Amino acid sequence: MTYIVFLFLVGLVLGLIAVASNPSPYFAALGLVVVAGMGCGVLVGHGGSFLSLVLFLIYLGGMLVVFAYSAALAAEPYPETWGSRPVAFYMMVYLLGVVLVGWALWGGWYEGSWVSSDEMFEFSVVRGDVGGVAVMYSSGGGLLVIGAWVLLLTLFVVLELTRGLSRGALRAV
Amino acid sequence: MNPYILATLLFGLGLGTTITFASSHWLLAWMGLEINTLAILPLMARHHHPRAVEATTKYFLTQATAAATILFASTTNAWLTGQWDILQMAHPIPTNMVLLSLALKIGLAPMHSWLPEVLQGLDLTTGLILSTWQKLAPFALLLQIQPNTSILIFLGLTSTLVGGWGGLNQTQLRKILAYSSIAHLGWMLLILQFAPSLTLLALLMYIIMTSSLFLIFKLNQATNINTLATSWAKSPMLASIAPLLLLSLGGLPPLSGFMPKWLILQELTKQDLPLAATFAALTALLSLYFYLRLSYTMALTLSPNSPTGTTPWRLPHLQTTMPMTIFTALSLFMLPLTPATIVLLTF
Repeated sequence: MTYIVFLFLVGLVLGLIAVASNPSPYFAALGLVVVAGMGCGVLVGHGGSFLSLVLFLIYLGGMLVVFAYSAALAAEPYPETWGSRPVAFYMMVYLLGVVLVGWALWGGWYEGSWVSSDEMFEFSVVRGDVGGVAVMYSSGGGLLVIGAWVLLLTLFVVLELTRGLSRGALRAV
Repeated sequence: MNPYILATLLFGLGLGTTITFASSHWLLAWMGLEINTLAILPLMARHHHPRAVEATTKYFLTQATAAATILFASTTNAWLTGQWDILQMAHPIPTNMVLLSLALKIGLAPMHSWLPEVLQGLDLTTGLILSTWQKLAPFALLLQIQPNTSILIFLGLTSTLVGGWGGLNQTQLRKILAYSSIAHLGWMLLILQFAPSLTLLALLMYIIMTSSLFLIFKLNQATNINTLATSWAKSPMLASIAPLLLLSLGGLPPLSGFMPKWLILQELTKQDLPLAATFAALTALLSLYFYLRLSYTMALTLSPNSPTGTTPWRLPHLQTTMPMTIFTALSLFMLPLTPATIVLLTF
């Protein structure tokens, strides 16, 4: 398990570097997808399998829209990625930064990875994340109502901001 | 805008502030701040004017950054100390991070530069909401954390300095109001840790004074000094009251704007901080300079004008003047009530 978590962590760092090293939007969005997937993997390694499933489905659903938009808006014939020189330079700098910070904060790690902390789950009926969901639905009911209301409010906000077609300032140029 | 949508958005504004007020948990406090930000965005961009939309975008980016930092800081706090309680934020790093992000949210000096830009792009009513109601929720959080005193004093002094300094060269009233807001918030932050009730007092006084000024400008439809110079012909009574109001904002003695400054300086002196008190008092002079210039153009001089410009029709006002009247009366005559106000606000 430590080995798989190690792989996930490496993928997470690489994906974040792919986002931060400023390539074309296609590859930046792809990097975000990789980061999301790898982060969910790390979450599974720490016992949050249900949480990671929810995160994966919902976050990637949003990412799909972002990816479609960025691909549609930035219609580049020759998208830049790690092959081009400035992007590769940024990538090396970020990688170096991550290695340096990792070297400074190495202390609590085990075999170059995070210890998988999901122990003794064989002895409990429900796992931590499922239990949390149950608590949220039982004692956090009011909060859920407020959350739903705020989502509705957000819908109105977005509709109100994007209305106005050609008069509005938010429009396709 | 559809009145139902308007009502929903105004309810959202109220809901956000109420949730932040009522919460003892960082996640809920953050939620309240986010609801506040979300609900005011369509109100800011209501007229779909490019300037308003630009201001809305700037406001959204700033507030989203600040809110994300608050969320990051409170998560870090939960990670380090194992609890989410606002009052029990013990670790210095997340506490100071929260302080800085709240400072960004209300526009304190090193993070202030968005405020004049945003306020300049809005109409006066939305600007009034932005500089009064939107400050309440962050201040409710600021009063509950215990950050580093020297950072607080630094933020306070730079805010009073920048608020005075930045306003000097402005001719646009909304930018001047923004700089005045920065300076007043600096005074509040300066006293935050020594006498929180004085922070509350200064906030209330600032809200009263700035509301009356915003409403007077709205009644005169004035957005720059030029318009202000001819506003005496529209409503002479307001033109004679507004200078007093401006001097009250500047903190001159017989007016109620003197009360918070007086008490804050007294408390700072009692706390053995004469240098900070002197510096704050001196930077208030900078603010006083541009308030004086506004009052000069408005009432202390008669700028040359054509006969048609000096004798306009005085039609009955269509907008409600009662709130303006109450706020103006409060911001001019409340100094004798100082003892009662202190007693009311001491907690």
